[in-house]
Amino acid sequence: MNIHFNTPEGTRDRLFAECLERRQVQSALVDLFRRRGYAEVITPEVEFYDLFVHSGSPLPQETMLKIIDRSGKIMVMRPDTTTPIARLAATKLKTLPLPQRLYYDQTVFRSGNAHEGGSSEIAQCGVEMLGATGMKADLEMITLAVDALRACGLSGFHIEVGHVGFYQDLASRMNMPQEEQERMRLLIEGKNYAVLNDFLEPYSAQPDCAALRRLPYLFGGAEVLEEARTLAGACTSLDYLELLYRELCQAGYGDYVRFDLGLVHQIDYYTGVVFRGYANGAGAPVLSGGRYDNLVELFGRRAEATGFAVDVDAVGGCLEVKVPQLRTVIHYESGLLGRALEVMDRLPAGTCELSPCRTLSSTMNLASEKGALQVLCLDNSGERWLEV
Amino acid sequence: MSQRLRIALTKGRLQDKSVELFEKMGLDCTPIRHPGRRLIHSVPNYPLDAVLAKAPDVITYVEHGVCDLGIVGKDTILEKGGAFYEVLDLGFGRCRFALAVKEGTDFYATYKTRRVASKYPAVTRAFFERKGMDVDMIKIEGSVELAPILGLADGIVDIVETGATLKENGLTPIEDVAQVSARLIVNTASMKLHKQEILDFIQQCQANLSGT
Repeated sequence: MNIHFNTPEGTRDRLFAECLERRQVQSALVDLFRRRGYAEVITPEVEFYDLFVHSGSPLPQETMLKIIDRSGKIMVMRPDTTTPIARLAATKLKTLPLPQRLYYDQTVFRSGNAHEGGSSEIAQCGVEMLGATGMKADLEMITLAVDALRACGLSGFHIEVGHVGFYQDLASRMNMPQEEQERMRLLIEGKNYAVLNDFLEPYSAQPDCAALRRLPYLFGGAEVLEEARTLAGACTSLDYLELLYRELCQAGYGDYVRFDLGLVHQIDYYTGVVFRGYANGAGAPVLSGGRYDNLVELFGRRAEATGFAVDVDAVGGCLEVKVPQLRTVIHYESGLLGRALEVMDRLPAGTCELSPCRTLSSTMNLASEKGALQVLCLDNSGERWLEV
Repeated sequence: MSQRLRIALTKGRLQDKSVELFEKMGLDCTPIRHPGRRLIHSVPNYPLDAVLAKAPDVITYVEHGVCDLGIVGKDTILEKGGAFYEVLDLGFGRCRFALAVKEGTDFYATYKTRRVASKYPAVTRAFFERKGMDVDMIKIEGSVELAPILGLADGIVDIVETGATLKENGLTPIEDVAQVSARLIVNTASMKLHKQEILDFIQQCQANLSGT
């Protein structure tokens, strides 16, 4: 038989530093979420495929890892957590008063393309606030996103905020066939400046054309809101973002916030403010989220909602985590285990271990093999520190 | 402090054209023209470092964010896809994807499943899907023209520049699949983290494009 000792494509064993990074990020996030009144939920790792089809999940079906169960039903390894949480909010939590604040700390599974260095197992830590709408809820979410990345220990990062309403307003005022609109959206999403320009040429007589042309450039500091205002005139989503920004500045979060009015991905899923977190050292967003007011209703209970997820390992990869080094090996005479354990518990975690050897000379050999600096020898006459 | 940008250039013809463009922009490209054994080439009078790579690797480097920018053909973008901003059509490296068949044969004259050879299976599949046609796709790594000559395939989907190679081998292009030219691509996070530097660079490229 041909036994495989490697792990499947997209999965891997994580050792030492990678575990420390992940746990450090997770515990920082979980601490913060609890302090802010969020309660943990754990959803099944395996769900019905139908759940994600029913909810109009933006994930293409080839990215979901599928299993056929004994009765022949198609199951998937949980490809995201928001949909299961929407399901449980509309069913199990049906009788609880809203808003509900929930957090999760679990892995999602996505099958990516082979040989592209992506992982099929993505550790996500995130929050959902269900049944709250309006400025205060959005402010709570964005400040929580800032604090989440700050709590992880990231230095250079920002949260970029957009609003799907801005693009939708502009697009709906354009006299343009439906399928052309979708092409335009893709060009804006890809910041495909040159092609967008050519594409919009035949529409240049229409008043909103100039704003759409500039849309891929409308990202950066608060000045983009001013530019958008000059281009688009009266617009409720801009009013909203301006007010949001004023409130964020007042709360002391202004420096962490930027804008991208060209955030037009998953336009059918998101219903309001959307945001992403970028960190120095990460080649892709490390946090993403937004308002999705229509999802929970698909499961039978109307609840406006917003939330975000942090890509735990992407954040961990930006941190400098030190793996503790072994310094001390403890050799104890029989009968002194209690004392050895006492000493051990006083030393910093990961810097010392007990010797399983019977004689001191074997312990000395072991200590030198493992690169320890010293041996602590405990016997009836007391304790001795020996250099290795 | 201005952040140095890193750009991945597609080796070969696109590299020469990219260097020409950079020199028009006033960049001193001596290190790229005379690479020696170095792998990263710093432009002395502009905050830009260049690496040279095969086309699909340009996309990989940009997608993972180890390069902020890349210059790569639309053919590779269509075939490989990926998440990045495609900000500029550089206009050079212009050619087209075409479906070519043996001269004198009618590709569409039968209901039998056609067999198509290509170095670009994703582009080929998408093309025939749009037509609602089932075809057998055969991936060929080298000279695709050989496949119909040897009778392995009924047609090929490949890059056509002048059509001379096809003609010499008794093949003729019957349909365009897509237009191709070099594109400037940008990593999504870099764009957000180094907005000014990157927009300046794009603008300078654009200003020096005319006439190429």
